[in-house]
Amino acid sequence: MSAADRARAVLTRLVEASAIERILISTAALVLSILIGTAIVLVAGRMTTCAATDAVYYLGTGFCYDPVVVFDRLFLGALGEPFSGNWSPDGQFAVTLRETTLLVFTGLSVAVAFRAGIFNIGTQGQMVVGAMATAVAVLWASSFVSGALGTVLLIPFGVLVGAVFGGLYGTLPGLLKAYADANEVITTIMLNFIATGVTLYLVSGPFKDPGSAANQTVPLPEFARFPSLLFGSRQDFSLVAFAIGILAIGGLYYVIEHTAFGYDVRTSGIQPEAAEYGGVDAAKTVVASLTLSGALGGVAGAMYVMMILGTFQTGLPSYGFDGITVSILAGNNPLGVGVAALLFGILKSGTTVVQFATDVPPQLVGVLRGLIILFVAMPEFFRLLGRRLSPSGPERNPVATDGGRREGETDE
Amino acid sequence: MAAAGRERQMSEAGADAPVGSRLTDTVAAYSTRALAGGTTIAALFVLLVAGAIFPDSIAGTLADVLTSRNTLASALRLSVPIAFAALGGIFAEKSGVINIGLEGLLIISAFTAIYVTDLTGGIWIGFVGGVLASTLLAGLFAIVTIEFRADQIIAGLAVWLIALGLAPFASQVIYNGPNTPTVPTPDAISVPVLAELPFFGALFSASPSVYLLFLSVALSWYVFERTAFGRWIRASGENPKALDTAGVSVRGVRYAAVLLSGVLAGMGGSAFSLDLGQFTGNGPTMVNGKGFIAIVAYLFGNYNPVGAFLSTLLFAGLDAIQTVLQLRGIGIPRQLIRITPFVVVIVVLALVGRTQTPEAAGDHYESGEE
Repeated sequence: MSAADRARAVLTRLVEASAIERILISTAALVLSILIGTAIVLVAGRMTTCAATDAVYYLGTGFCYDPVVVFDRLFLGALGEPFSGNWSPDGQFAVTLRETTLLVFTGLSVAVAFRAGIFNIGTQGQMVVGAMATAVAVLWASSFVSGALGTVLLIPFGVLVGAVFGGLYGTLPGLLKAYADANEVITTIMLNFIATGVTLYLVSGPFKDPGSAANQTVPLPEFARFPSLLFGSRQDFSLVAFAIGILAIGGLYYVIEHTAFGYDVRTSGIQPEAAEYGGVDAAKTVVASLTLSGALGGVAGAMYVMMILGTFQTGLPSYGFDGITVSILAGNNPLGVGVAALLFGILKSGTTVVQFATDVPPQLVGVLRGLIILFVAMPEFFRLLGRRLSPSGPERNPVATDGGRREGETDE
Repeated sequence: MAAAGRERQMSEAGADAPVGSRLTDTVAAYSTRALAGGTTIAALFVLLVAGAIFPDSIAGTLADVLTSRNTLASALRLSVPIAFAALGGIFAEKSGVINIGLEGLLIISAFTAIYVTDLTGGIWIGFVGGVLASTLLAGLFAIVTIEFRADQIIAGLAVWLIALGLAPFASQVIYNGPNTPTVPTPDAISVPVLAELPFFGALFSASPSVYLLFLSVALSWYVFERTAFGRWIRASGENPKALDTAGVSVRGVRYAAVLLSGVLAGMGGSAFSLDLGQFTGNGPTMVNGKGFIAIVAYLFGNYNPVGAFLSTLLFAGLDAIQTVLQLRGIGIPRQLIRITPFVVVIVVLALVGRTQTPEAAGDHYESGEE
């Protein structure tokens, strides 16, 4: 059996054994994070002060924050009050889908790199670069066209520009890793800081909107933005962008599972040695997958500019870091990214509802994000738990989240 | 680093890896370091000479800033969080657990130190509180990676993200804003006479945390080079099986090392915020990537505490210089000067490239008894 065949066999076994288990683990991680989140909300509610009438009482103890209200607002609020009787798609639900759209792209961006065994922490920076490039390029191009034709031409153009610049910014750590052996975790994190610094310079100087006090580019004309079909324009959500997101999920799934490039990516992630013996050009795969990853991050930036903000402003929300959670929660599977992105879209959109309805600080979602990652990273914990609950449960090899497994080394 | 380790493995997996190849690697790594170090010193020398000849040029301004006592003082101050975190990172990684969550440990201790100080009024109580918080979080990381075999990189990222959310969250709950109020800062300790020296005087008139750092660097070096515990840590990272065979618990050593990394990073984070008297939690918080720079610092310092301290001083020095240059203005926009430390980190990493990553770093070790 050739090394390539062996790698394929390993891959098939891993995928089959782990798909259901991963879903179970992700769900368990989510539930556990929410439980801990509840505890944090309760503790925080004890640490702050409020009027006695505002407090809720559990087991005779008063708390300033009510976790039930928090999670009720977080989930039901984000879905636009589905049980209230007058649900409309144009409310908070549109915001949820809008956030989901962006998280699909950043999630896919992280997933494609992780699948290749590369820790791309730089999706945030790649998104910032893509967003900046899109804002400037589309503004420039919008002077040549107008109206509906303008929209038809400018949307693909803007997305393309975002992808190209985000992709180039992803190529950089790829080259550094492939040819200078520089660890990508560090380089991509540094490149995030650099992207923030350079774009801050660009929007406070050369590309600054002279008519605005904020550090931002000149806003794009209405026809250069994503059209808000069916949904009202109030929530800055566009079905077109959402549809592109769905297409991207399907497209990336196809690329990873059914193309030669995807095969290289998967084998490099699982068995780099076997992949090389099997004829995979490791350096090329690293550069290509980081470029693709960066391009997807760049598209997220383009979407942010052309769908939500209409301009580039410093201090982009942390969709890139959320993409890490989305991807890890999805087991780095493109189809899973869709589900995880929706879930995280709910969390992000629900945060604003929570902010309106309660005094609980919005950073809570950031804590939940970290907890979810932590729990998903420790499948062994849930396996132990499962074994304890069902003593006859089959023993399985742990799923590797790390591409860096050594050859010939087993975990048991 | 897991990746670097993997590539090492690949290069050695083929045909009974000759000892020679490893030696060449070492020599190559050293010569790149020597080259990088030499270039830096040469560049500095040229700059100083040029500055002396043309005092009005950019070189002049730079040379002026470089030789200023204030620059050394602020470089030392900025070194504190990075160098402490780097020392912690060395202990953890040498034992075989890559702790990429140093940034999170710095954040959590920086906040807790201020909070406890504000609560109790005692700076040193606050310092201990910060160290405790960081050690607890490191303990969680240890349990997750050692007990439950979590992927070290992902768990480390989680530690960072948890702290990144938790500290501003707590600040918001307690102080109604991401920034804490200010607390009193510790007084500088001055050594008489020596503190009057022109440039090096900054070494002898500094915050207690700077002296604590000197002490910790020396102690860490001693522990690694001269004690049994230091040897165990190295063995746990290089050849855990041998350590196990020798009757020492690999798990125990790794727990100790990771907790120690929590203590050290906690000292860095606490000292950092207490020296400034405030915790600021906007965006990436006041820690702003120092934990990640610490990782590069110890890689560049080749896992040697003294080496890590010196490379920290290099990065912190750059940071100190860029802060001064932002104020003085040398024709380069402020926002671009600000990113120089990050650019230098990437350049250094590209030059150093493959480091002597401990053989078993990133891998879970299961003792045969279980």
